[in-house]
Amino acid sequence: MPRRRQMPYNNRLLRALSDTDQALLGPYLTWSELRRGCVLVAPDEPIERAWFIEEGLSSIIAMTGARQGVEVGLAGRDGLIGVPLLLDADRTPHRIFMQVDGAAYGIASGDLQRVLDEHASIRKLLLRYVQAYATQTTYTALSNVIHTVEQRLARWLLMSHDRQDGDQIPLTHDFLALMLGVQRPSVTLALHSLEGLGLIKATRGLVTIRQRAELEACAGTGYGIPEAEYERLIGPLR
Amino acid sequence: MPRFFLHIEDGTQRIEDTEGSELPDLAAARQEALKAARQLWAAAILDNRDISMRRFLIVDADDDVIDTVAMDEALPAGLLGRLR
Repeated sequence: MPRRRQMPYNNRLLRALSDTDQALLGPYLTWSELRRGCVLVAPDEPIERAWFIEEGLSSIIAMTGARQGVEVGLAGRDGLIGVPLLLDADRTPHRIFMQVDGAAYGIASGDLQRVLDEHASIRKLLLRYVQAYATQTTYTALSNVIHTVEQRLARWLLMSHDRQDGDQIPLTHDFLALMLGVQRPSVTLALHSLEGLGLIKATRGLVTIRQRAELEACAGTGYGIPEAEYERLIGPLR
Repeated sequence: MPRFFLHIEDGTQRIEDTEGSELPDLAAARQEALKAARQLWAAAILDNRDISMRRFLIVDADDDVIDTVAMDEALPAGLLGRLR
Protein backbone atom coordinates (compact mmCIF):
# COMPACT_ATOMS: atom_id res chain seq x y z
CA MET A 1 0.00 0.00 0.00
CA PRO A 2 1.53 3.35 -1.00
CA ARG A 3 2.05 5.68 1.94
CA ARG A 4 2.36 9.41 1.96
CA ARG A 5 6.04 10.22 1.98
CA GLN A 6 7.91 12.74 3.98
CA MET A 7 10.09 15.12 2.01
CA PRO A 8 12.06 14.77 -0.15
CA TYR A 9 9.69 14.03 -3.00
CA ASN A 10 9.93 10.72 -4.76
CA ASN A 11 8.90 12.26 -8.10
CA ARG A 12 12.07 12.93 -10.09
CA LEU A 13 10.77 16.20 -11.57
CA LEU A 14 9.86 17.63 -8.16
CA ARG A 15 13.25 16.47 -6.90
CA ALA A 16 15.02 18.25 -9.75
CA LEU A 17 13.46 21.61 -8.77
CA SER A 18 15.47 24.06 -6.66
CA ASP A 19 14.43 24.49 -3.02
CA THR A 20 12.88 27.84 -3.96
CA ASP A 21 10.80 26.32 -6.77
CA GLN A 22 9.75 23.39 -4.59
CA ALA A 23 8.54 25.89 -1.98
CA LEU A 24 6.63 27.83 -4.67
CA LEU A 25 4.92 24.74 -6.03
CA GLY A 26 4.35 22.96 -2.71
CA PRO A 27 1.19 24.81 -1.58
CA TYR A 28 -0.62 23.82 -4.81
CA LEU A 29 0.10 20.10 -4.52
CA THR A 30 -2.33 17.65 -2.98
CA TRP A 31 -1.37 14.05 -2.40
CA SER A 32 -3.68 11.23 -3.55
CA GLU A 33 -3.46 7.51 -3.51
CA LEU A 34 -4.10 6.13 -7.02
CA ARG A 35 -5.30 2.58 -7.41
CA ARG A 36 -4.75 0.39 -10.43
CA GLY A 37 -7.35 1.20 -13.08
CA CYS A 38 -7.82 4.78 -11.86
CA VAL A 39 -8.30 7.06 -14.90
CA LEU A 40 -6.13 10.19 -14.72
CA VAL A 41 -7.02 11.58 -18.13
CA ALA A 42 -10.14 10.70 -20.14
CA PRO A 43 -9.96 11.07 -23.94
CA ASP A 44 -11.19 14.37 -25.40
CA GLU A 45 -12.28 15.77 -22.06
CA PRO A 46 -10.81 18.84 -20.36
CA ILE A 47 -7.84 17.85 -18.16
CA GLU A 48 -8.64 19.20 -14.72
CA ARG A 49 -5.50 18.14 -12.89
CA ALA A 50 -1.91 17.30 -13.66
CA TRP A 51 -0.23 14.61 -11.60
CA PHE A 52 3.35 14.31 -10.41
CA ILE A 53 3.55 10.55 -9.95
CA GLU A 54 5.23 9.56 -6.69
CA GLU A 55 4.77 5.84 -6.95
CA GLY A 56 3.18 3.31 -9.29
CA LEU A 57 2.95 3.25 -13.07
CA SER A 58 0.61 4.93 -15.49
CA SER A 59 0.02 4.13 -19.15
CA ILE A 60 -0.74 6.54 -21.93
CA ILE A 61 -3.03 4.76 -24.38
CA ALA A 62 -3.83 5.69 -27.99
CA MET A 63 -7.41 4.55 -28.45
CA THR A 64 -8.48 2.22 -31.25
CA GLY A 65 -12.12 2.09 -30.14
CA ALA A 66 -14.29 3.18 -27.25
CA ARG A 67 -12.52 0.82 -24.84
CA GLN A 68 -9.51 -0.64 -26.61
CA GLY A 69 -6.18 0.90 -27.40
CA VAL A 70 -2.42 0.43 -27.48
CA GLU A 71 0.07 1.80 -25.01
CA VAL A 72 2.16 4.61 -26.47
CA GLY A 73 3.75 5.99 -23.33
CA LEU A 74 4.68 5.09 -19.78
CA ALA A 75 5.14 7.35 -16.77
CA GLY A 76 5.86 6.75 -13.12
CA ARG A 77 7.90 8.70 -10.60
CA ASP A 78 9.93 10.05 -13.55
CA GLY A 79 7.06 12.02 -14.91
CA LEU A 80 4.11 14.31 -14.98
CA ILE A 81 0.71 13.21 -16.26
CA GLY A 82 -0.85 16.17 -18.03
CA VAL A 83 1.77 16.95 -20.69
CA PRO A 84 -0.89 18.63 -22.94
CA LEU A 85 -1.33 21.30 -20.23
CA LEU A 86 2.34 22.21 -20.59
CA LEU A 87 1.81 22.67 -24.32
CA ASP A 88 -1.21 24.98 -24.15
CA ALA A 89 -3.70 22.20 -24.88
CA ASP A 90 -6.60 21.42 -22.54
CA ARG A 91 -7.31 17.87 -23.73
CA THR A 92 -5.93 14.87 -25.61
CA PRO A 93 -7.37 11.92 -27.56
CA HIS A 94 -5.29 9.64 -25.29
CA ARG A 95 -6.53 7.81 -22.23
CA ILE A 96 -4.23 7.71 -19.22
CA PHE A 97 -4.71 5.37 -16.29
CA MET A 98 -2.83 3.71 -13.45
CA GLN A 99 -1.66 0.21 -14.21
CA VAL A 100 0.21 -0.38 -10.95
CA ASP A 101 -1.10 0.98 -7.61
CA GLY A 102 0.58 4.18 -6.58
CA ALA A 103 0.23 7.76 -5.47
CA ALA A 104 0.74 11.23 -6.90
CA TYR A 105 0.75 14.91 -6.10
CA GLY A 106 -2.03 16.54 -8.11
CA ILE A 107 -2.19 20.18 -9.14
CA ALA A 108 -5.27 21.91 -10.57
CA SER A 109 -4.72 22.86 -14.21
CA GLY A 110 -5.42 26.54 -13.48
CA ASP A 111 -2.82 26.59 -10.71
CA LEU A 112 -0.32 24.82 -12.93
CA GLN A 113 -0.92 27.41 -15.67
CA ARG A 114 -0.29 30.26 -13.26
CA VAL A 115 2.90 28.68 -11.95
CA LEU A 116 4.15 28.07 -15.51
CA ASP A 117 3.38 31.66 -16.52
CA GLU A 118 5.15 33.14 -13.54
CA HIS A 119 8.14 30.87 -13.00
CA ALA A 120 10.39 30.24 -15.97
CA SER A 121 12.65 27.78 -14.16
CA ILE A 122 9.70 25.46 -13.39
CA ARG A 123 8.34 25.84 -16.92
CA LYS A 124 11.72 25.04 -18.45
CA LEU A 125 12.20 21.90 -16.37
CA LEU A 126 8.74 20.62 -17.28
CA LEU A 127 9.30 21.40 -20.96
CA ARG A 128 12.54 19.41 -20.81
CA TYR A 129 10.42 16.57 -19.46
CA VAL A 130 8.13 16.91 -22.48
CA GLN A 131 11.22 16.45 -24.68
CA ALA A 132 12.34 13.41 -22.65
CA TYR A 133 8.84 11.93 -22.83
CA ALA A 134 8.65 12.59 -26.60
CA THR A 135 11.97 10.76 -26.99
CA GLN A 136 10.54 7.79 -25.09
CA THR A 137 7.52 7.60 -27.42
CA THR A 138 9.69 7.82 -30.55
CA TYR A 139 11.71 4.85 -29.30
CA THR A 140 8.47 2.98 -28.64
CA ALA A 141 7.64 3.62 -32.30
CA LEU A 142 11.08 2.36 -33.32
CA SER A 143 10.75 -0.72 -31.15
CA ASN A 144 7.28 -1.52 -32.49
CA VAL A 145 8.68 -1.55 -36.01
CA ILE A 146 12.01 -3.36 -35.68
CA HIS A 147 11.98 -5.45 -32.51
CA THR A 148 10.59 -8.89 -31.67
CA VAL A 149 7.97 -9.39 -28.96
CA GLU A 150 10.74 -10.71 -26.64
CA GLN A 151 12.82 -7.58 -27.16
CA ARG A 152 9.84 -5.30 -26.68
CA LEU A 153 8.84 -7.17 -23.53
CA ALA A 154 12.42 -6.85 -22.21
CA ARG A 155 12.35 -3.12 -22.95
CA TRP A 156 9.01 -2.69 -21.29
CA LEU A 157 10.06 -4.59 -18.16
CA LEU A 158 13.22 -2.46 -17.90
CA MET A 159 11.20 0.74 -18.21
CA SER A 160 8.88 -0.44 -15.44
CA HIS A 161 11.82 -1.55 -13.30
CA ASP A 162 13.39 1.92 -13.65
CA ARG A 163 10.26 3.50 -12.23
CA GLN A 164 9.86 1.47 -9.06
CA ASP A 165 11.75 0.14 -6.05
CA GLY A 166 12.57 -3.55 -5.88
CA ASP A 167 12.67 -6.24 -8.54
CA GLN A 168 9.06 -7.47 -8.53
CA ILE A 169 6.70 -5.98 -11.11
CA PRO A 170 3.01 -6.80 -10.53
CA LEU A 171 1.57 -7.31 -14.03
CA THR A 172 -0.87 -9.74 -15.58
CA HIS A 173 -0.31 -11.29 -19.01
CA ASP A 174 -3.52 -9.63 -20.16
CA PHE A 175 -2.05 -6.32 -19.27
CA LEU A 176 1.29 -7.01 -20.93
CA ALA A 177 -0.60 -8.05 -24.07
CA LEU A 178 -2.35 -4.68 -24.08
CA MET A 179 0.92 -2.87 -23.44
CA LEU A 180 2.68 -4.61 -26.29
CA GLY A 181 -0.31 -4.71 -28.63
CA VAL A 182 -0.10 -8.50 -29.10
CA GLN A 183 -2.22 -11.58 -28.37
CA ARG A 184 -1.82 -13.07 -24.91
CA PRO A 185 -0.11 -16.30 -26.04
CA SER A 186 2.65 -14.16 -27.60
CA VAL A 187 3.24 -12.74 -24.12
CA THR A 188 3.18 -16.22 -22.56
CA LEU A 189 5.87 -17.37 -25.02
CA ALA A 190 7.99 -14.22 -24.69
CA LEU A 191 7.93 -14.50 -20.87
CA HIS A 192 8.80 -18.18 -21.17
CA SER A 193 11.71 -17.36 -23.46
CA LEU A 194 13.14 -14.63 -21.18
CA GLU A 195 12.64 -16.96 -18.23
CA GLY A 196 14.48 -19.75 -20.07
CA LEU A 197 17.47 -17.41 -20.39
CA GLY A 198 17.33 -16.78 -16.64
CA LEU A 199 16.64 -13.05 -17.08
CA ILE A 200 13.30 -13.00 -15.26
CA LYS A 201 10.98 -15.17 -13.22
CA ALA A 202 7.33 -15.03 -14.22
CA THR A 203 4.55 -16.21 -11.93
CA ARG A 204 0.87 -15.45 -12.02
CA GLY A 205 0.48 -11.66 -12.02
CA LEU A 206 4.12 -11.04 -11.10
CA VAL A 207 7.38 -10.66 -13.03
CA THR A 208 10.64 -10.66 -11.08
CA ILE A 209 13.76 -9.16 -12.68
CA ARG A 210 16.70 -11.54 -12.24
CA GLN A 211 19.50 -10.34 -14.51
CA ARG A 212 19.09 -6.73 -15.39
CA ALA A 213 22.24 -6.24 -17.50
CA GLU A 214 21.37 -9.24 -19.69
CA LEU A 215 17.81 -7.99 -20.03
CA GLU A 216 19.22 -4.67 -21.31
CA ALA A 217 21.33 -6.54 -23.84
CA CYS A 218 18.22 -8.42 -24.97
CA ALA A 219 16.20 -5.20 -25.39
CA GLY A 220 18.82 -3.90 -27.83
CA THR A 221 18.48 -0.39 -29.25
CA GLY A 222 14.98 0.06 -27.81
CA TYR A 223 16.36 0.65 -24.34
CA GLY A 224 19.01 3.10 -23.17
CA ILE A 225 18.87 6.14 -25.43
CA PRO A 226 15.60 7.64 -24.07
CA GLU A 227 16.82 6.90 -20.54
CA ALA A 228 20.16 8.65 -21.16
CA GLU A 229 18.26 11.56 -22.68
CA TYR A 230 16.06 11.81 -19.58
CA GLU A 231 19.14 11.92 -17.36
CA ARG A 232 20.79 14.57 -19.56
CA LEU A 233 17.68 16.77 -19.52
CA ILE A 234 16.32 16.20 -16.00
CA GLY A 235 18.58 14.19 -13.72
CA PRO A 236 18.75 10.70 -12.23
CA LEU A 237 15.94 8.44 -13.47
CA ARG A 238 16.31 5.40 -11.25
CA MET B 1 -18.32 -16.08 -18.73
CA PRO B 2 -16.20 -19.22 -18.42
CA ARG B 3 -12.43 -18.97 -18.18
CA PHE B 4 -10.30 -20.67 -20.82
CA PHE B 5 -6.57 -21.30 -20.69
CA LEU B 6 -4.48 -21.54 -23.86
CA HIS B 7 -1.48 -23.71 -23.03
CA ILE B 8 1.11 -24.15 -25.77
CA GLU B 9 2.50 -27.62 -26.37
CA ASP B 10 5.87 -27.69 -28.10
CA GLY B 11 6.83 -31.34 -28.64
CA THR B 12 7.14 -32.68 -25.12
CA GLN B 13 7.24 -29.29 -23.45
CA ARG B 14 4.11 -27.55 -22.20
CA ILE B 15 4.16 -23.79 -21.78
CA GLU B 16 1.41 -22.92 -19.34
CA ASP B 17 -1.02 -20.05 -19.65
CA THR B 18 -1.21 -19.27 -15.94
CA GLU B 19 -3.93 -16.63 -16.17
CA GLY B 20 -6.41 -17.59 -18.85
CA SER B 21 -9.13 -15.31 -20.14
CA GLU B 22 -12.88 -15.06 -19.87
CA LEU B 23 -14.62 -15.86 -23.15
CA PRO B 24 -18.26 -16.58 -24.08
CA ASP B 25 -17.70 -20.19 -25.25
CA LEU B 26 -15.35 -22.74 -26.77
CA ALA B 27 -15.84 -21.32 -30.27
CA ALA B 28 -14.55 -17.96 -29.02
CA ALA B 29 -11.59 -19.70 -27.35
CA ARG B 30 -10.76 -21.44 -30.67
CA GLN B 31 -10.90 -18.08 -32.44
CA GLU B 32 -8.50 -16.64 -29.86
CA ALA B 33 -6.13 -19.56 -30.41
CA LEU B 34 -6.27 -19.16 -34.22
CA LYS B 35 -5.65 -15.42 -34.01
CA ALA B 36 -2.72 -15.98 -31.67
CA ALA B 37 -1.35 -18.75 -33.89
CA ARG B 38 -1.29 -16.39 -36.89
CA GLN B 39 0.70 -13.90 -34.84
CA LEU B 40 3.13 -16.63 -33.77
CA TRP B 41 3.50 -17.75 -37.39
CA ALA B 42 4.24 -14.18 -38.49
CA ALA B 43 7.03 -13.86 -35.94
CA ALA B 44 8.34 -17.38 -36.67
CA ILE B 45 8.50 -16.82 -40.44
CA LEU B 46 10.37 -13.52 -39.99
CA ASP B 47 12.77 -15.45 -37.78
CA ASN B 48 12.98 -18.40 -40.23
CA ARG B 49 11.64 -20.85 -37.65
CA ASP B 50 9.16 -23.69 -38.15
CA ILE B 51 6.52 -23.87 -35.41
CA SER B 52 4.25 -26.45 -37.10
CA MET B 53 5.02 -28.95 -34.31
CA ARG B 54 3.36 -26.70 -31.77
CA ARG B 55 -0.28 -26.71 -30.82
CA PHE B 56 -2.64 -24.97 -28.46
CA LEU B 57 -4.40 -26.91 -25.74
CA ILE B 58 -7.66 -25.27 -24.79
CA VAL B 59 -8.18 -25.98 -21.11
CA ASP B 60 -11.21 -25.18 -18.99
CA ALA B 61 -11.35 -23.97 -15.39
CA ASP B 62 -11.29 -27.62 -14.16
CA ASP B 63 -7.91 -28.08 -15.90
CA ASP B 64 -9.42 -30.45 -18.49
CA VAL B 65 -8.19 -30.23 -22.07
CA ILE B 66 -11.39 -29.63 -24.04
CA ASP B 67 -9.92 -28.99 -27.49
CA THR B 68 -6.69 -28.52 -29.39
CA VAL B 69 -5.72 -26.14 -32.18
CA ALA B 70 -2.77 -27.12 -34.38
CA MET B 71 -0.60 -24.28 -35.71
CA ASP B 72 -1.34 -25.49 -39.27
CA GLU B 73 -5.02 -24.72 -38.79
CA ALA B 74 -4.13 -21.02 -38.67
CA LEU B 75 -2.48 -21.01 -42.10
CA PRO B 76 -4.43 -19.73 -45.12
CA ALA B 77 -6.38 -22.69 -46.61
CA GLY B 78 -4.77 -22.36 -50.07
CA LEU B 79 -1.26 -22.43 -48.64
CA LEU B 80 -2.07 -25.38 -46.42
CA GLY B 81 -3.45 -27.28 -49.46
CA ARG B 82 -0.22 -26.78 -51.41
CA LEU B 83 1.91 -27.84 -48.44
CA ARG B 84 0.01 -31.12 -48.08
